[in-house]
Amino acid sequence: MNTALPARAVRTVSAPVHALADLLVGRDGPYARAFDNLVLALIVLSVVSVVLQVTADLPAWATQILRITEFLVVAVFSFEYVLRLVAAPRKLAFIFSFYGLVDLVSIAPFYFTGLDVRYLRVLRLLRLLRVLKLQRRILETTVAERTRELADRNLALEQAQKQLKAELDIARALQIAILPSTFPSKPGCDGAARMIPASTMGGDFYDFIELPDGQIGLVVADVSGKGVPAAFFMAVSRTNLRELAIHHPEPGECLASTNDVLCTQNPMDLFVTVFYCIFDPTTGVLRYANGGHNPPCVRRAAGTVEMLNAAGGLVLGAMPGSRYPNHTVQLNPGDRLVLYTDGVTEAFNPAEEAFGVERLINEICAHGDGTASDLVDRICGSVANFAGLAPQSDDITLTVLGWYA
Amino acid sequence: MSLNARLESHGRTTLVISEGRLDFGACAGFQAALEKALASAGTLPAGLLIECAGLDYVSSGGLRVFLLAARAAQRTGVTFALCALKPSVNEVFALSGFNQIIPTFADRAAALEQLP
Repeated sequence: MNTALPARAVRTVSAPVHALADLLVGRDGPYARAFDNLVLALIVLSVVSVVLQVTADLPAWATQILRITEFLVVAVFSFEYVLRLVAAPRKLAFIFSFYGLVDLVSIAPFYFTGLDVRYLRVLRLLRLLRVLKLQRRILETTVAERTRELADRNLALEQAQKQLKAELDIARALQIAILPSTFPSKPGCDGAARMIPASTMGGDFYDFIELPDGQIGLVVADVSGKGVPAAFFMAVSRTNLRELAIHHPEPGECLASTNDVLCTQNPMDLFVTVFYCIFDPTTGVLRYANGGHNPPCVRRAAGTVEMLNAAGGLVLGAMPGSRYPNHTVQLNPGDRLVLYTDGVTEAFNPAEEAFGVERLINEICAHGDGTASDLVDRICGSVANFAGLAPQSDDITLTVLGWYA
Repeated sequence: MSLNARLESHGRTTLVISEGRLDFGACAGFQAALEKALASAGTLPAGLLIECAGLDYVSSGGLRVFLLAARAAQRTGVTFALCALKPSVNEVFALSGFNQIIPTFADRAAALEQLP
């Protein structure tokens, strides 16, 4: 019972002292600045006073004033010392810290020698060390300023980053918006496509091109690298290919021309893999050429899937003068053509397994009987299920063409 | 670091032994390593050979690093080649057509025989 009393008593006394310490020497205390300035003035006053006492031969009244000054200074410094001790989270650490010792040395001589300042010359001189209290003030002010500067800079950086992210989001939206959303309407065939961009801007694209002779050009492409450069090169590649497709009836010649143009507009040394085919919806004949892209699949009406012979040329943009052989394949009624980028086959799950060509083929086998749009939905859904929570590292692009004759 | 590149000297040819995955994150470091290897090539004739026996994966960004190195080598007159590609990486090289512009050899010995 009794042992609780002193503890409570200490707490009763210490609470107001703590509050006072927070007000006067706390880092954000409302009167910390004013108290600091008072201490600063007293430091200067006391140093001048000590110097005067030591060097000059003073009249009695002046000595009296200096003694009163000294009394005042020590009173305030002692008060400050107690407050700092109270405010310090670790008392002993404070007492034996450099500035804790400086503070102590600033006041201790007074208590040892009493009011009679003629005693102990050395101890008196020790009071000159009060100058060191100035150093703390300078140091603390500098640290506070640096901290503020850093905070300001961090804020500016954060804002810049936010703005950059907002602009990148717009760029991604634009990237998707420039891709065609509908397949050219032709009797006997349908088509669908989807591009799902990765979090970083990528350079996948697809395209449907209505050619002057009634045939349809289909493109699937993947620009090397990521980010804004890849997105720009994607836009340049798509525009050039679309433009040149109108003038080149053979897919291989179209890719060769596009490659030559891209090689002259390629300051970042990027390149793009392109599969380009021309489909005749009246005959089912598909003519194609390949610039370094994954081989597409054809699902026959019977349910079997074959990979097209994709032997071709170099990726586009790497070297002028590259040649691209033309191939032809006959589609029969009920067949589907599936074009894709490696974002599909290299979609990883949390166990770091890739979706792979085999799973893709199985999906095409199992779900190829519906419309082109259905098959795109099925494959995208299956890839999303497979990847689960694993982050999407690459753009995913799929294009499906169905021919019904 | 998903990719390791170690440099060795074999006569006038600098051998870069690459191991790991050349994915998007590894491209910048690998590019710097190849630039350093090219810069350290002495008087011509000189060769730069990349051994890919431990290379498991090459992304499209990684192909670009090989392309840049091949171009830089061509500019400076250094003979550039790859050797010991794993089947999966070899497939990427064949598919992208890179084997048409960068010589590839079955193994280190066969390559060193042809390089300076």
